[in-house]
Amino acid sequence: MEDADKHKDLKRSEASGCGREGYGIAGKEDRAWEHGDADVLEGRASPREQCRGVMNAEAKAGKWQKVVYGGMQNGFADNYTDSSFLEAMVMNANVVKRDTWTTVRDSVVISQYLSAVAMVATVWTHSLKAPVDASFLLLLDALLLLLGFVIVLLTTDYISFASLYRSVLHIVFFVCGLYVMTPIFQTLTRSISSDSIWASTVCLLLVHLFFHDYTHSTVSFTRAKHSQGVSPSFLANVSLHASIVASVLIASRLPSWQSVFSLMLFSLEIFLLFPLVAYCIQKWSTAFHLAFSFILTVVTMGLLFPLNRMVFYLYVLVILFITFVCPIFLIKIQEYKFEINGPWDEAKLCFDID
Amino acid sequence: MELPAQTTMGRHHRVLMVSDFFYPNFGGVENHIYYLSQCLLQRGHKVVVVTHAYGTRSGVRYMTNGLKVYYIPWLPFFMQNTLPTFYGTFPLIRNILIREGITIVHGHQAFSTLCHEALLHARTMGNKVVFTDHSLYGFADLGSIHMNKVLQFTLADVQQAICVSHTSKENTVLRSNLPSQKVFVIPNAVDTAMFKPDPSLRPSDQVVIVVISRLVYRKGADLLVEVIPAVCKRFPNVYFIVGGDGPKRVRLEEMREKHSLQDRVEMLGAVPHARVRSILVRGHIFLNSSLTEAFCIAILEAASCGLLTVSTRVGGVPEVLPLDMIVLAEPVPADMVSAVGRAIQLLPSINPFEMHKRMKTLYSWMDVAKRTEVVYDHAVNSDSNDLCERLTRLVYLMYYACGPWAGKLFCLVAVIDYIFALFLQWWQVSLSLSLSHTHTHTHTHTHMQSQRYYSPS
Repeated sequence: MEDADKHKDLKRSEASGCGREGYGIAGKEDRAWEHGDADVLEGRASPREQCRGVMNAEAKAGKWQKVVYGGMQNGFADNYTDSSFLEAMVMNANVVKRDTWTTVRDSVVISQYLSAVAMVATVWTHSLKAPVDASFLLLLDALLLLLGFVIVLLTTDYISFASLYRSVLHIVFFVCGLYVMTPIFQTLTRSISSDSIWASTVCLLLVHLFFHDYTHSTVSFTRAKHSQGVSPSFLANVSLHASIVASVLIASRLPSWQSVFSLMLFSLEIFLLFPLVAYCIQKWSTAFHLAFSFILTVVTMGLLFPLNRMVFYLYVLVILFITFVCPIFLIKIQEYKFEINGPWDEAKLCFDID
Repeated sequence: MELPAQTTMGRHHRVLMVSDFFYPNFGGVENHIYYLSQCLLQRGHKVVVVTHAYGTRSGVRYMTNGLKVYYIPWLPFFMQNTLPTFYGTFPLIRNILIREGITIVHGHQAFSTLCHEALLHARTMGNKVVFTDHSLYGFADLGSIHMNKVLQFTLADVQQAICVSHTSKENTVLRSNLPSQKVFVIPNAVDTAMFKPDPSLRPSDQVVIVVISRLVYRKGADLLVEVIPAVCKRFPNVYFIVGGDGPKRVRLEEMREKHSLQDRVEMLGAVPHARVRSILVRGHIFLNSSLTEAFCIAILEAASCGLLTVSTRVGGVPEVLPLDMIVLAEPVPADMVSAVGRAIQLLPSINPFEMHKRMKTLYSWMDVAKRTEVVYDHAVNSDSNDLCERLTRLVYLMYYACGPWAGKLFCLVAVIDYIFALFLQWWQVSLSLSLSHTHTHTHTHTHMQSQRYYSPS
């Protein structure tokens, strides 16, 4: 009875000790070693010995073994390739199967943000062409801020009074700071021509869109949860700063400080706070997220259409490209994915180094 | 094309070993080249080594038994590699090939630029070419992709390739699309005479675990940081000796302080290879924590000193020793700790002298040299060197294996090299290059028959 248990144990340790792919099957040179070893290990059948029993049988049968010790193997040249060659190779082990619909749905995040930025750009153009009433814009700012706040409050599970208080305080500081800085912004680019301003703004917005963190991994909520104290990635920072500089440049072209303030507030609300709100919505409900994106896109289209026909078409094309062409292309090129893994790979550590 | 004597088929070869890595640098490749050359010399072949200059060590040097080493004056720019210039080394390599009457060029290590360049030029000059791969590479990152392209280019044209383990062969075949029959598996070996056990130096009341490796990520230094305190906690009579230096040494020292193990973990810092044996013989168990390893000579040295080895089961390590001489574990701290436990249990059954005796039968450099000779014979007897044929083969291989762009680029490189060779031939007629006189040996090596084929033609 006890023996049977022991045997089972041995079998198990054999499985773990003797390697996976038939590695380390001892060779013929074991014969010389056997005698001494058997004496030493007398009466204690170690898992190794059990292993060796199997191996010797194989060695006697003249089977090739995947070992390099003991010189050239009898009957096998050094360039002999066994049938087990590349047996341990695994192909496409980590490849994720994607379906078109999910990819399209995931791409909405990008087109949604693109719409938001396009909307800001239209508002900029409108207010530069014929100055929009500052108080109207201010009202819009307040409404957006409130709406965003409500959405965030509704969609987050945990709300503490302290965090609420902190958020309100932050917003108050932010708005006050902006208000104080407005006179500086207003005269900042007076000596520069409008063309240069527009050109650099377009460049900055492109940089912003290119480097924007569409995965929302740097949005404050998640960051605080995942990796405390680690600053968001460098590129996300570059993107954010590009957008802020662009807002400052545009706002500085406006005639009155009231409109400078309200336009700045509007742009920064979109650039800083919109990703957070969008993320909350996305987490909360996919249907709502899609609907929201759709409405945003339509509104942007509506704003763009009277402004410039060419830009409107371009916008529609880009949205279609991002939402449909890119995902389908991604699915198509998945066929060519070819990933090779095997025993030669560098082992990955299963713990955090820091 | 300019070889003075093409008649030395079969037994005696004139081999040029090329690699960026050679003494005074130290490591697996350097060791391999040195010992292989020594054994080939002893077996009556002519061997010349080419490497880049190391500091002031530049020019021609002679090592033991008249092993001639060219330290060519190219400065290393990154990790002991010379700057890749494609053609910069050609005149020099050509001179060496002609002067020494080389028949076979043997390149070592995939990331040695000097090796790749020399192999290219040797092929252009019509020499037979053998390549040894000493390391494993992945397929996924940018560096590997680039390396693999270069390797495909070089290996498309070699006669034979050698790998140090079966895992390494699988890796090389996959990376280079070489037919597997062209790839030989010839392991490294260990100079057992230099690594003799001496159990009298071991403490009897403690189990001493020795770690000797560069303390870097790839050698699993981070794994050590987890394993050492866990082992110390579980086995109160274990004492660690850690030899080696590297960027991760700070982490190990932090760990030692954090767990108050100053009296149980000895940190030696960098260990010159000459002192390795004196450290190994102090221990009972050798711990190797590498995350990737094509072969691992350190394990052989430890086993030769009679130490039981505990190692991660990565790369070619499971092929290196019989299972009763090594305890393998997954590269996971918990598994490593239990493997150390198993090793401690096995210790009473291990006799260091018998282990050493057994290592003598398992590995010898002479055996490696004999097997390498077979590869040279294969290379010499292989197909012709016609440029057109070479190019067709290159185009075919390149176009289908490397993608259209890299393929054409590589062909261009090969063609320009050929034109360059014609130019050099016109500029520096090979007959005007004096053949090097065979070094007469002061040692009593009667079997050195190199004189025979150096009579100036």
